[in-house]
Amino acid sequence: MEIDVYYYIYWVLNYFFLFYGFCLIALYFFAIILSNRSVTRNKRKARFLQVNDIVSASDIPSITLIAPAYNESKTIVENVKSLLALQYPFYELIIVNDGSTDNTLELLVDKYDLEPFDSTFITQPIPTSTVNKIYRSRKLQYKQLTVIDKNNGGKSDANNAGINFAATELVLCTDADCIIEQDALLKMVRPYLEEFDQEIVACGAAIGIINDSDVKNGVIEKLRLPERLIPMIQVVEYIRAFLLGRMAWSEINGVMLVSGAFGLYARNRVIEVNGFNIHTVGEDLELGIRLRKHMEEIKVPYKMVYLPETLCWTEAPNNIDILIKQRDRWARGLWETMGLHKDLFFNRKYRDMGLFYYPYWMFFELGAPIVEFVGLLSLVIFTILGLINWNIAILLFTSVYLLGCIFSTISIFIYVKNFKHYNTGKEVVELLLAAYLEPFVYHPILVLGQIQGYYKKIFGVKSGWGNMDRKGFKTLPKEKTEKV
Amino acid sequence: MDAEILKLIIKLLLIILVIIFASIAFTMNYRKWRTRRLRIIENTFATICSLYLYPKPNEKPDLIGIQRELKSVGIVPSKPRNVQYLIDLMIRTQRSILGVNYIKLKTLFTQIPPYGASASKLNSKMWYIKARGIREIYEMDQSQYTRDLIKLRNNDNIYVRREAQIGIVIFLGWKSLRFLPYLKRQMTLWQQIKIVEKLNDLYPVPDLKHLRRAYNSDRPYANELIMRIIRKFNLTEDIAYIIQFLDNAKFETREAAIYCISSFSLSAEQIREIKEKFYNISNTEQQLMLLKYIQRISMEIDLPFYKDLLYNSNDIIKLSAADILWNNGFKEEVQEYYYHQYTQKADSESISV
Repeated sequence: MEIDVYYYIYWVLNYFFLFYGFCLIALYFFAIILSNRSVTRNKRKARFLQVNDIVSASDIPSITLIAPAYNESKTIVENVKSLLALQYPFYELIIVNDGSTDNTLELLVDKYDLEPFDSTFITQPIPTSTVNKIYRSRKLQYKQLTVIDKNNGGKSDANNAGINFAATELVLCTDADCIIEQDALLKMVRPYLEEFDQEIVACGAAIGIINDSDVKNGVIEKLRLPERLIPMIQVVEYIRAFLLGRMAWSEINGVMLVSGAFGLYARNRVIEVNGFNIHTVGEDLELGIRLRKHMEEIKVPYKMVYLPETLCWTEAPNNIDILIKQRDRWARGLWETMGLHKDLFFNRKYRDMGLFYYPYWMFFELGAPIVEFVGLLSLVIFTILGLINWNIAILLFTSVYLLGCIFSTISIFIYVKNFKHYNTGKEVVELLLAAYLEPFVYHPILVLGQIQGYYKKIFGVKSGWGNMDRKGFKTLPKEKTEKV
Repeated sequence: MDAEILKLIIKLLLIILVIIFASIAFTMNYRKWRTRRLRIIENTFATICSLYLYPKPNEKPDLIGIQRELKSVGIVPSKPRNVQYLIDLMIRTQRSILGVNYIKLKTLFTQIPPYGASASKLNSKMWYIKARGIREIYEMDQSQYTRDLIKLRNNDNIYVRREAQIGIVIFLGWKSLRFLPYLKRQMTLWQQIKIVEKLNDLYPVPDLKHLRRAYNSDRPYANELIMRIIRKFNLTEDIAYIIQFLDNAKFETREAAIYCISSFSLSAEQIREIKEKFYNISNTEQQLMLLKYIQRISMEIDLPFYKDLLYNSNDIIKLSAADILWNNGFKEEVQEYYYHQYTQKADSESISV
């Protein structure tokens, strides 16, 4: 009788995993078709709205770039320099010092010759932690720089403070440790200039990994693939996520997540929804969903779009510990956001978002680590019970592995075909090798991090953002030699 | 699942993987080869242009030689991508050269291949080829195709109609306002920007007759376009047109009106009119923008207006009104208001106790 129960569970689970796997594969194939169409269309469109045309135009929307900084003393000066050098005729830069305990603020005040100004009457539509002082530079060349010094309230709170102080139509939220391509704003503003029947509420672009690259004066001098395997695999992961995932969603107006590291928003809409939610660590996804809900509720046609170009570069976790922390946080953010908006689940009021996009996130983003974990657990149990047919299991594993390799290879192919960042044979081979090693050396770590995050949420273990120790970008040849 | 089927699937997947590998390798090699080919075309074209513009003394341009040279580097109808590259080079060159040399180059380009390549693109079914053809036509100043562009001004594809509309403005100037405010489809912000810029660059003297006729259009995009034109050409006598849209029901139209009015100085009567409209604006952010503008252009502080805002509007507007009053020497009024607030609060608390 007992054996029968095990056998029954065994078959139910087997068919569940098979069904889940088929659904995922079908979705990935669908994503490849959509993303390829989207990338090609974007390339064609870009020919008719070149950055040179935009840079000389006079009536384009103004943009405020908001970069929260918390204990970023290692990179802050370089990064602000990089952010100040962006090409855009009308843009402001707001650095929000979110109660740093190191000398981030002092460095900024010193290097950019900042002085405080009277901010008694500045309005704050979104409530935030206390703003202590607002600084502006005495130097003309830094006239577009504003530094807000506020009490610590987290990244979302800092972004909200920046949004409050911004006086432009669009706000671009980024991280102070990101390196942004010089023409990024000119490219990001394109959808806002071109759309006519739908309002663009948010726009994102691909994010690349910059570990071990040469950065000088806040500009990438030489892009290199990371030397270590963990960040190298993340390069493939990011390419796949942005090129296959986000671009496919963008094609069907299904984008719900505009990455917190680089997202351009319509300021008035963000204020209408009261800014970023400070009570979740998945604030970017949460804002995306809230914006979409708001637009559905007020019945204004809208769009959230993604650009295929890599316009922002960031340092990825260099070791397993930091990677686990990062994925743990992302998993908690996802859990919290899905919980906050559970009313969307198969809710026809929210049309496609309620019927397809949110359920997809529920089943295949939130659910995937759980399914994988249960899969591994059942593999162990059924092995002990002697229920596994190893011959079939190995063949099935090989097929699934090869399918994974195909998806990664296709995304690398689309990337190589359309972009020139990694264009030498050596680099492409390294990327492919990293992609093929990913399921063995990287993916289990991700699942571990995600399950850890879910565990914390289920059992109420308190955890915050956690710090990511950065090497810093000053990879000038001289320093490199010293390091060696 | 049968093991044989799985083995077959694995073989199939391996074949697919190999095909993708081959595609990557091919793409990378093709790109290298193509870059080399394009460089050769570019160098040949540069030599042709420089020898044509600055020939050796007593040497006449050898057009047949030029045609042969272009043919030898692959500028033939059977290789449309090479032809396209040459056209792009021609446009880039023409854009960067002015004066006598511009006219000389224009003459050269009519005498060397490709012939009629841009016009033939107008018949293409692909939107991006058609739009590219239109762009080439106006970039290369081929005004003989204006009629064709007019036909395309309401095309289904946004890029085709946008390029056609820009072309119409380039060739017809202010007369194009006979068409533009009456288009069937909505105009994007970029279309408006581009049209205003082209008018400003190529036809800097405004033709008010055509502009004012367009005032009758009730289409929101046309209203926005006209407001941008009024702003760009600093048509102070037509400010009333912008003012009427400050409290328009449509957010984008109001936004454009506030943006456009901001570059003008106004008379006392116009400021009074704006203040009246201020109360009808439903969006606080837009109210704030307008308030800042009113403060900037007003010769003196209108105390009753700001006091009214201080006492009777929402918190954000109140704070801005307080800011303006405080910084213009009306500290007592602000203090009085806050004292009044404090006492009101204290009274209500004592009542509730």
